[in-house]
Amino acid sequence: MPANRLAARSVEVSIVVPLYNEEESVALLYERITAAVSGMGVAYEILFVDDGSTDRTLDVAAGLAARDVCLKVIEFRGNYGQTPAMAAGIDRARGRFIVTMDGDLQNDPADIPLMVAELTDSYDMVVGWRRNRQDKLITRKVPSWIANRLIGWVTGVPIKDNGCSLKVYRASVIKQVPLYSEMHRFIPAMASIAGARVREVPVRHHARQFGESKYGLSRVYKVLLDLASIKTITSFAQRPLVWFGLLALPFALCSLILFIAAFLPLLGDSQAPSLPFAGTAVLLGALSLFLLMGGALGELIYTTGDIDMSRYSGITAVTFRERRSQPRDEAEIAQTAQED
Amino acid sequence: MQQTEVDISAIVPVGSRRDDLPALLDEYAEGLRQAGVSFEIIVVLDGPREGLMNELAPLMAARSWLRLIELARDFGESAALTAGFSRARGRMFLTLPAYYQVVPADLGKFIEAGCQTDMAIAVRWPRAGSTIESWRRHVFHWLLGFITGQRYRDLGCGVRLLSRDITVEIPLYGERHRFYPTLATNRGFEVREIELAQSSKDDFRGRYRIREYLHRLLDILTLFFLVRFTKKPLRFFGTIGFLISALGVLFVTIVVIQRLFLNVPLADRPALLLSSLMLVLGVQVFALGLLGELIIFTHARELKEYAVRRVIGGDENPVEAPRLDAVDPGPKSG
Repeated sequence: MPANRLAARSVEVSIVVPLYNEEESVALLYERITAAVSGMGVAYEILFVDDGSTDRTLDVAAGLAARDVCLKVIEFRGNYGQTPAMAAGIDRARGRFIVTMDGDLQNDPADIPLMVAELTDSYDMVVGWRRNRQDKLITRKVPSWIANRLIGWVTGVPIKDNGCSLKVYRASVIKQVPLYSEMHRFIPAMASIAGARVREVPVRHHARQFGESKYGLSRVYKVLLDLASIKTITSFAQRPLVWFGLLALPFALCSLILFIAAFLPLLGDSQAPSLPFAGTAVLLGALSLFLLMGGALGELIYTTGDIDMSRYSGITAVTFRERRSQPRDEAEIAQTAQED
Repeated sequence: MQQTEVDISAIVPVGSRRDDLPALLDEYAEGLRQAGVSFEIIVVLDGPREGLMNELAPLMAARSWLRLIELARDFGESAALTAGFSRARGRMFLTLPAYYQVVPADLGKFIEAGCQTDMAIAVRWPRAGSTIESWRRHVFHWLLGFITGQRYRDLGCGVRLLSRDITVEIPLYGERHRFYPTLATNRGFEVREIELAQSSKDDFRGRYRIREYLHRLLDILTLFFLVRFTKKPLRFFGTIGFLISALGVLFVTIVVIQRLFLNVPLADRPALLLSSLMLVLGVQVFALGLLGELIIFTHARELKEYAVRRVIGGDENPVEAPRLDAVDPGPKSG
């Protein structure tokens, strides 16, 4: 271990906040987080990730960081989006527990201690549920309700509020989840590949004080396409051939039925098979073959890639063992260790 | 001069199009000298050119700033530039064409204006040339701007000033040098266009044949995919596949309804085959998108989606004052 690492404090809780043009909110946000977390009596760090803001967000945040070693600001070279910003913060977080939240003050940092306490009991991930959401009904709440139902149904992780950024993770679990594109919406589903147990708790939600909403709900078709990829990745990433085989099955069945229909007239008095039926049958048969081959290609991709599912099962096993041998609250254990 | 670092490494890739090189190189050197920077000029010969080598090698005796690299075969301009970058000792890289595009005496002005950003590209302005030529240029840049959302005015100009970081982060191959500004902007680098006078010897006529146009179009298509959809292939393939399939389903429904209720016979109708073909094609394109997603997922760890300029504060790297170039002592400090 290098010397500078030894010099750095050990950290219990890391709070990651992506910021994009939030110059009015930053100072207040910092104060509220500090007030909430310092009351927990554990070592913490705050990571502000400046996602290429064009206003004075970075200057304000850097000014705060100069006064407090608990605050670290990560400056991006450009604007890359909310998910990369979260990923950057999570990559650099040193705490055993990682909290993510929005930078627009709509989440209340006062909920953090409660959520961390929930996590240490028996879950790998605690997500916030904005029970009294302070947003416009038609443009935000209704689309979000439909999207959440759909996401829960497809991914098998029924969470009422996927859009809430206030979440607490066990660092060992979230650091294994690949975060890219706009995947932050699907972190619970992705984490469930790693066997993470997810708990949902109601959190406070405030109306927006400053500025406009920056990360709105994406257009419907984007969510639908993302869902299709998530489904492929989560449930069948390990066995692409099976997943593509399942896709191919209905087409193969249709093809078979049409073949039978095409050649049925031969049993009667007709001389030639039915041409439209035969043609369509051949096409659909070709399609199912193509999909099967695609599955085989998927197997190849999976083997050459660096996602190793055994690593995921490894994490879950460790978490289990910890839980069996250490029935006490993990925060308590950490505190006694510090006192020793 | 062997190991010392210089301010500017100028790289001149030499392909089939070139003017009187010894004279041009001396003019470039004079321009750089007037700019008051220490420099070296690296000439990269793209493939062995016997005569040219014999012509240039004697020049090296009297010119300590000149270096020559000869590639084993014709690899293209991007590869030549990469070879130059990897051997350059300068803090900043300057790419220069092997023919007259700008007035070499203006290089000082260009460097002074360009060193404030990550990448500066020259725009030849005011521009000579025929109306057709000007239209061709406008259409190309408009199309590129429409597709990538970034407007540039003169991507054909070979005069660019770049920081070393860019060349490390964005590898060049194929025809990508032409779109270097676009790719750099996409990675979050700051790119600025700087107007320079066009050289009176910039003679460019009749080089664009049909094949060239086709290549450009395919390049734009590649760029479109690279810039927009690398991280979310299903958004690209899925949308196309879904549209094709939806059309196919619509046509099949119409044909089947006509058969069932209007008694139009199916057997002699190509419409049925066409529509079911579209359905099948759409599903295939969609499946390709799913495979793409699988590729991205399994390589997500290698594909860093963001670039950090610096980290401020924390107990490992405490700050004394805001706006300190702690991590990236790049050209910006100048």
